[in-house]
Order: sequence, then structure tokens, then C-alpha cells
Amino acid sequence: MAETFIHSVWLIPCYGIVGMLFALPWFPGVIRRTGPRPSGYVNLLMTLFGFLHSLFTFVLVWGKPAQTESFTWLEAANLKLSFGFEISSLSVGALVLITGLNFLSQIFAIGYLEMDWGWARLFALLGLFEAGMAALVLCDNLFFSYCILEILTLGTYLLVGFWFNQSLVVSGARDAFLTKRIGDLLLLMGVIALLPLAGSWNYQDLARWAARTTIDPTLATLLGLALISGPIGKCAQFPLHLWLDEAMEGPLPATILRNSLVVTTGAWVLVKIAPILALSPVVLGTLIVIGSISAVGGSLIAIAQIDIKRALSFLVSAYLGLVFIAVGIGQTQEALLLILTFSLSMALLVMSVGGIIWNCMTQDLTQFGGLWSRRPISAIAFLVGAAGLVAFPPLGSFWAFLQLAEQVSPWLVGLLLLVNTLTAFGLGRVFGLVFAGATHPMTERAPEVHWPMMVPTTLLAGFVLHLPIVLWQVQLIPAQWIDTTLLFAIALSTSSIFGGIAGFRLRLAQLPWPRVQEMLARDFYTGDIYRLSVVFAVAQISQIVSIVDRYFVDGLVNLVGYFSLLGGESLKYSTSGRTQFYALTILLGIVAMGCAVAVHF
Amino acid sequence: MLSVLVWLPIIGAVIIGLRPQKNQARSIALSVSFGLVVWSFWLLFQFSSSLSTMQFIEALQWVPQLGLNYRLGIDGLSLPLVVLSSVLTWVAIYSSKREIERPRLYYALILLVNAGLAGGFLVQNLLLFALFYELELVPIYLLIAIWGGTERRGYAAIKFLTYTAVSGFLILSAFLGIGFLAGSEAFSYNPQLIAALPIATQVVLLSLILFGFGIKIPLFPLHTWLPDAYAEASPPVAILLGGVLAKLGTYGLVRFGLNLFPEAWHLLAPGLAVLGAVSAIYGSLVALAQKDIKLMVAYSSIGHMGYILLAIAAATPLSLLGAVLQMVSHGLILAMLFYLVGLIEAKVGTRDLDGLNGLMNPVRGLPLISALLILAGMASAGIPGLVGFIAEFLVLQGSFVPYPIPTLLCVVCSGLTAVYFVILISRTCFGKLDNATAYYPSVLWSERIPALLLAGLILLFGLQPSWLTHWSETTTTALASQIKIAAAANFPGDLP
Repeated sequence: MAETFIHSVWLIPCYGIVGMLFALPWFPGVIRRTGPRPSGYVNLLMTLFGFLHSLFTFVLVWGKPAQTESFTWLEAANLKLSFGFEISSLSVGALVLITGLNFLSQIFAIGYLEMDWGWARLFALLGLFEAGMAALVLCDNLFFSYCILEILTLGTYLLVGFWFNQSLVVSGARDAFLTKRIGDLLLLMGVIALLPLAGSWNYQDLARWAARTTIDPTLATLLGLALISGPIGKCAQFPLHLWLDEAMEGPLPATILRNSLVVTTGAWVLVKIAPILALSPVVLGTLIVIGSISAVGGSLIAIAQIDIKRALSFLVSAYLGLVFIAVGIGQTQEALLLILTFSLSMALLVMSVGGIIWNCMTQDLTQFGGLWSRRPISAIAFLVGAAGLVAFPPLGSFWAFLQLAEQVSPWLVGLLLLVNTLTAFGLGRVFGLVFAGATHPMTERAPEVHWPMMVPTTLLAGFVLHLPIVLWQVQLIPAQWIDTTLLFAIALSTSSIFGGIAGFRLRLAQLPWPRVQEMLARDFYTGDIYRLSVVFAVAQISQIVSIVDRYFVDGLVNLVGYFSLLGGESLKYSTSGRTQFYALTILLGIVAMGCAVAVHF
Repeated sequence: MLSVLVWLPIIGAVIIGLRPQKNQARSIALSVSFGLVVWSFWLLFQFSSSLSTMQFIEALQWVPQLGLNYRLGIDGLSLPLVVLSSVLTWVAIYSSKREIERPRLYYALILLVNAGLAGGFLVQNLLLFALFYELELVPIYLLIAIWGGTERRGYAAIKFLTYTAVSGFLILSAFLGIGFLAGSEAFSYNPQLIAALPIATQVVLLSLILFGFGIKIPLFPLHTWLPDAYAEASPPVAILLGGVLAKLGTYGLVRFGLNLFPEAWHLLAPGLAVLGAVSAIYGSLVALAQKDIKLMVAYSSIGHMGYILLAIAAATPLSLLGAVLQMVSHGLILAMLFYLVGLIEAKVGTRDLDGLNGLMNPVRGLPLISALLILAGMASAGIPGLVGFIAEFLVLQGSFVPYPIPTLLCVVCSGLTAVYFVILISRTCFGKLDNATAYYPSVLWSERIPALLLAGLILLFGLQPSWLTHWSETTTTALASQIKIAAAANFPGDLP
């Protein structure tokens, strides 16, 4: 029985796919009589199966060495592509997280999209995401990881474009797809270049290869830079970060999954390929620089956002920036821990905010206020999520931060404290603007929402609160304090409390400095810079090439045709019937041929 | 067995032409082409994929003095293309309008095109190939000129005819040159005789062949007949043109370029790889600037043909396999795109990007058609799980070692493809439906069938590509090793 469970772990991604397939007939209106709801229930059931399966498997594989299984997908012309599964405590644990969070967000979606007609599409895509992420964590092969990332890119496009008749949604979906595709294609270049060098895409083989290879440093750098581009796009890191902000136009239940887990798929691949990245110090340096820019920049931008979803979305970039730094300094275990604590807390924050958006009918932070008395459960859930996200002992991220700073280097400690303070400030600000103060017309009548949204929120709040116990059980919390750690722990906690209280007390809807506010609110003008540079250049080049094609390349052809016609038209008058003229032509021809023969080149 | 593929459509065309009942033309054409589909699938399962040589050979002496004989054969290179041509011909006939004008001529011409295509893929004699190659021209010319779209159809048809006639002339002159220089024995597909020619002569002959097929494929800068012809042709004819006829060019490059002139090919290959990449980027950039979705799809074809040229230039086992896969996948995807674009034009009345909007609307739009359009566009852009990806991937992986820079440029082209398909999808499927004009006729299930069939194939081969690689692998591997041996014998310094 136990073996059956472990060996059928490949079924877990299939549940999502089956759910998706079941939902398809409702999307284009093939089945109309029932309304779209059955598609949602089928998906929910499938995700529940997936969750239970992964939970049982997790109990069974806990503490056991990793097993691998593989089957050949394609074998052609000396290229063998085998899809390998790695069944370990880590990967199955990730499965539990994925299916569990997806289960909760699907319940949430049932409540949130109560009145929507697009159920089948939403649930089918949630099923696709679940399947993709589940396959990604099991997959032990860079090639298939790339494939999954690319399919998820398409999924993001369709999911962000859910309410496709709004223009902001359309441009948001487009940008999400294209930005991530740029990263994915650079990753593809890396994947293609890697095979002739390493001879395999299997992660273990790659690690072994990286340990003994002596490739040219420039090549290693180029390779590493190509490989990290995919994760940069996925994790919404600078300079490919702007899609996440625009993706907030998508439906909120999808945002729960995206902000907490989908973005971390890139980080997961990054952790897997860390041995190759370690071949080049430049690549590691790039990771740290990009991570630092995203961490500080993201947490700063979040402070200036008016849109409540965007205020959260930039924190995603910030935290994944910390994950990038962790991989850059070689602490992959800490990176994974941070991903775990981050994703649970972020999902909770988005859920709590989602319920508020739902019946206040606005996302504008300046329109909120005074909800504490009306919506205490949402407020508590928000507080728990915020405390879980920042370093607030004894909740999750505190321990992740603590371990990250174990190799105490001053700049890293400084950076962590800064990002933590800014994040706490931003969350304190959102909390203050939403829950404290006087009520606004939009919040006057705002009771707690109905159970399909409240139950997942409170359940998740419970998980976030219990996470330290889980971490304790799996021995991820240090048993011993050393002096420097203690010092850092105190500094961290103080910074969280200080930042949170400052944000709450000030409750700034806008920063007092208009120029800074404008710059941060517009994401350091990244969107404008892209519009004026890359987008403009591609559009202009394509226009120019098109004009050249129409008027020059084709024009030349038409010119030849025109001259042939003209030649025929004018020569027809030479057919006059006068023998002398023909004789002269023949004579001239003979002379010309004679010259051609006589003159040797 | 193979003769059936060539002669059945010709007989069908004659029957349609002779019978006076106009309304039976369609059903006769449909049953003939369905018979061909069944027959080619039957061949597929009779085919022994472990052999790299020609199978089911049929040979008849015709004019032995000229070296002209009737010799048919099939191998892993032509087999997938023959099946593709049968399937797409069926799709083209099925998707033709029921109330089309002059049905007997129309269906007879389409069947003739199919006969020419099958003949082109099957014959093993250079002169006969040239004959079949030219045989395509006239029916396609008439199909564009009579049943084409706008008043530009005459111009488009004559342009197509002129270009392709030049292409046929170049190829015929190359073949005649082979015959004169290497003896008429060489007409019956004899690479050894050609290998005895001096290398400079080989390069000249190969260049003629390259130009000839370069027009047919088409490659930059010989492509300007394509946008006019593809855009003016009615959707079924565009499916045939882009889906199968272009493959006659790429097939010819492998069969009569690479295989007959391995040494000369080795000399020209670096230039061809660059040309492939340039074609790919050029086609994608021009597609990006188009306002007409049919033209966009037409230019995308130039981009994808660039990959095939790159793969044939690289001539590694993997890249050649990728080239065959790309021919099939491009045929399927392009046919689906042209079909859907045609359907949208028929229902909405425009194919202008600025005039289309919000077709995903579930009540008054065309939701299923939009979903299929997204699928086809994404398959063309190379999203994994669909057949376009695995074909492109094999091409890129196979070509990377010999030609890294052109390969990376082709990856960039793949990105550009994504850009214009996202533009296409965002503008046509997404957005707000105009309430004032959105009274579209509903799409019938019979109209969805071809698109669903193609979508099924695209998904099936995307998820299970070994069902596609299986048939060609032995042939392409043998081909690649021949090239390698020839190159090593003549240019020992070039190889690692």
C-alpha cells in the first residue's frame, strides 16, 4: 500500500490536468444547461484528491532517502529525453504546499467569483497551474523544467487575461506573457547550449558535471546568465519585474496562487541549477545585485502604491529578491525556507485583502478606512499574514531571515534589516489605511464576507500561526543561539515592530514628497523606459523592414516586370515588315557576337 | 501501391470533369481524398521504419533514350509529407464553400494539385520530378485567379505563376545539366555519378537548385510572391499552398540539394545557415508590422521556413529529423491558422486587426474558434506541449553545435513570433465586442471539425512526438552520416 502511494506520485500532476480537461466543455459553451458551476466543483474535487495523495505520500517518504523514477519521452537521433521524478521529502512537501494552497484558493474562488460567467476558464487554468507546479517540483530534468515554465507562462497570459474585455487587462496579459517569454527564451538558449557541454539535463548529472568541468570562464558566465534569465522573468525580478504589477488586473483568486507560488517556480529552478551558476563568480554577483535591487526597490515601490493589490505585489518582487541573494551567496536551503514562509504568508495577505475588495468594490487605498470594527476576522488574518511575512518572532520568516544572516556579513545584515523595515512599514501603512481611522462611503456597509472566502482565510491564518511548530518538528529552527544571532534577532524584531508601527501611525496615502511619490508609484518609470526603448525600437524596425519589403524588395520585382512589359510594348513597333530593318538587326547581332568571341577576358 | 496516390486523384479529377452533375463534384472529391487519406495511413503502417532505403519501389521504363523512367519510391523523408499532403487536401476540400462557383473545375483542380504533390514526393527520377513540379503550377494559378479574394487576385496569380515558373525552369536546367554532364543515367537519382563531377560544377548546379527551391519555399529575398498569393488565395487554397506546396521546396532541398551534392553542400552550408536565420528574423519582423491577420500568418511562414533551411544546412542527425518534423508541424499549424482566419473572415467580414475585437465573447462572439486560434498561434510560437515546440527544439538543438550564432538568432525569431501572435490574439480574441456590429452568423459544428481535427493532431504530436519521429529517424540519420562521410573525404580539415 505504502509503495503504491509512493510510486503513483506521478498521478499528482495528473489530477490537475484531469480537472482541467473536465472543465473544458463548459468554457466555450458546449454545455449550457447546467451553467458553468460544475466545472469548478470537479476541479475542487480533483485538487482535494491531489492534496490527500500528496499528504499521505509525504508521511510515507518523510525522512527517507530520495527515490527517482523515470520514463522515456522521446528517443531520437542520439537524443534521449527522459522525464524523471524525484520523490523526496522536499519535493513531496512542496506538493503538499501546492495542492493545499490551490485547494484553498479554489474554495476562495467559488466565493469570489460567485457571479462570474468564466468559471470554467478560471478553474481549468488553476488546474493547469497546479499540474504544472506539481510536475515542476517532481521533475529532475532542466529541459522539462523549461517546458513547464513555458507552459505556465502561457497559463499566466490566459489567467491574467481572464476579464479580457477590459483594455488594461489585455495589455497586462500581453506584457506578462512577453516579459516572461523573454526570460524563458534566454533560458532556452542556455538549455540548448548546455547539452553539448554537459551531455545531460538531469540535475544530478549537471551537478556532477559542474564539479569536475574546466570550461572557459567566459562561456560559463554566458551560460549562467542565460540560465538565470528564466528565473528573473518568472520571479518578477529587476529588470523583468513589471509584468507582476500589471498582472494585478487579473482575478484575485488567481492572484493568491500567483503571488505566493507561481512566482517561486523560477526560484525553484534557480536552486536546482545552483551548481552550474557557481561556476562563474560573475553570475553569482549578478544574482546578488539583481536580488538587492529588487528587494530594496520592490519594498520601496510598495510604499507608494495606491492600489491595494499592487502594494502587495511589489513585496513579492522584494522577497524573491532576497531568495536570489540567498542563492547568490550559496545558501540554497535558506532560500527554500524563505520561499515556504513567504508563500504561506503572502497567500494569506492576498486572501484577506481579497475579501475586503470583494464587498467594498474598490482597490483604492484612499477609499478605505475604519474596517477594524466591522471586519475583525479579516483584520486579524491580515495581521497574522503581515507578521508571518516580516521577521516577527516566533512566526515563519523570522527564522528564515535569521538563518540567512548566519554567515554574518555586514552588508547583508544591513540589507535584510532595511528590507524588513520597509516591508513592515508598507504593511503597517496598508493595515492602517484599511482598518483604522474613520469609515469612508465605500466601507460604511462592509460586513465580513460569506463562508467560501472566510473559511480558507481563517484556515490559512491557522497554518501560518502553526508554521513555527512545523519548522520545529522538521528541525529547521536552530536549537542553539549564538551571540551574534541573538543580537541580529533582536535587531530584526525591533525593525519589524518599529517599521510596522511607523507605517500604521503615519498612514500615508501618499508620500509627502510629490516627486519621490511619483517616481515610486510609477515603478521608477520602468514601463515608460521600456515603451520608449525596446518596444519603440522593435516597432520601428518592423515598420521599416516592412516598408523595405513592400517598396524595395517587391518594388524591384515589379520594376523588372514593368520593364519587360515596356520592352515588349516598345519592341512591337519594330515588327514593321521591312526586310532591311531585319537584315540590319541580324548584322548587328553577328557583329556583337563576333566581338564577344574575339575579346577574351 | 504508390501509384494509387498519384493516379487516384487524377482519375477522380477526370470523373468530376466528365460527369455533368455539378452538385456531386464535392462529394466525389471528398470521397476520393478520403480514400487517399486511408491509403496513405495504410502505407504508414506497412512502412518499415528500420530501413533507410526506398520502399515500395515501382519502376517502369518510359523513354530509356532520355533516361526518363517512371520510378516511385518512399522513404522516411517523403512518407510524413505524403501523409500530410493527403490529410491537408482532405481538409482543403472539406473546408471549401458548399455553394462555390464552377464546382467541377474547382474540385478537379484541387485533386490535380494533390496528384502533382504526391508525384513530386514519390518520384525517383529527376526529369519526372521536374514534370510534376511544373504540373502544380497551372491548377494553383487558376485556383488563385478564379476563386481568389479581391480584385488583386489576378496580379497575385500571375506573380505566383511567373515566380514559380522561373523556379521550375532553374530546377529543370540544373537537372538537364546533371544529365548532360554526368550522363542520362544520373536522371534516375544516382548520387555517385554526380560525385564524380568537379566540385566547381557541382557548386554551380547546386546553386541553380537552391535558387529554384528558394523561390518555392520561399526564402528571403525570393519571397515576394508569397504575401500576395497567400492573402489572395481562398482559405482552402492557402492551406494547400502554405501547408504542403512550400514543403515541396524544402523536400527538394534535402532530396536534390543535400543528398545529391553533399560536397558542394558542405561548402555552401555556412552561408545557408545565415540565410536561414536572416529569413527567420526578416519574416517575423515583417509579420509584426502587418495589419491584416492573413498577411501576418503568411509572413510567419517565411520565418518558420528559415528554421528548416538552418536545419538542413547543419545536416546533423538531430537537425535533419527536426527539419522533417518542422515541415509536418508547420504544415499542420499553418493550415489551422489559415482555416481559422478564413472562418473569422467569413463570419465577421473582416480580417483587419483594427476592425476585429473581443471574439472570445461567449454569447455573441466566436469563443471556440478564438480558443482554437490561441492554440494555433501558441503552437506556432513554440509553446511546449504542442508540436511546433518539439520540431523547433530539435532543429535548434541539432544546429547549435555547427552554427551557434544562427541558432541563437532563430531563438530570437521564436520570441518575435510570440510577439506578433500575442498582438494578433490580443486584438482579435481579447477586447470588447462592438455591440452595434456583433451579429455574426453562428459557427456550425461541421465548420469546426477541420480545426478540431488539426488541433487534435497538433496536441497529439506535441505530447507524443515519438509517433512522428519514429518514421523518419532511420532515413535522416543515414542521410546525415552520408553527408558526414562525404565531407570528411573531401574536406578533412573542416571536421573536428
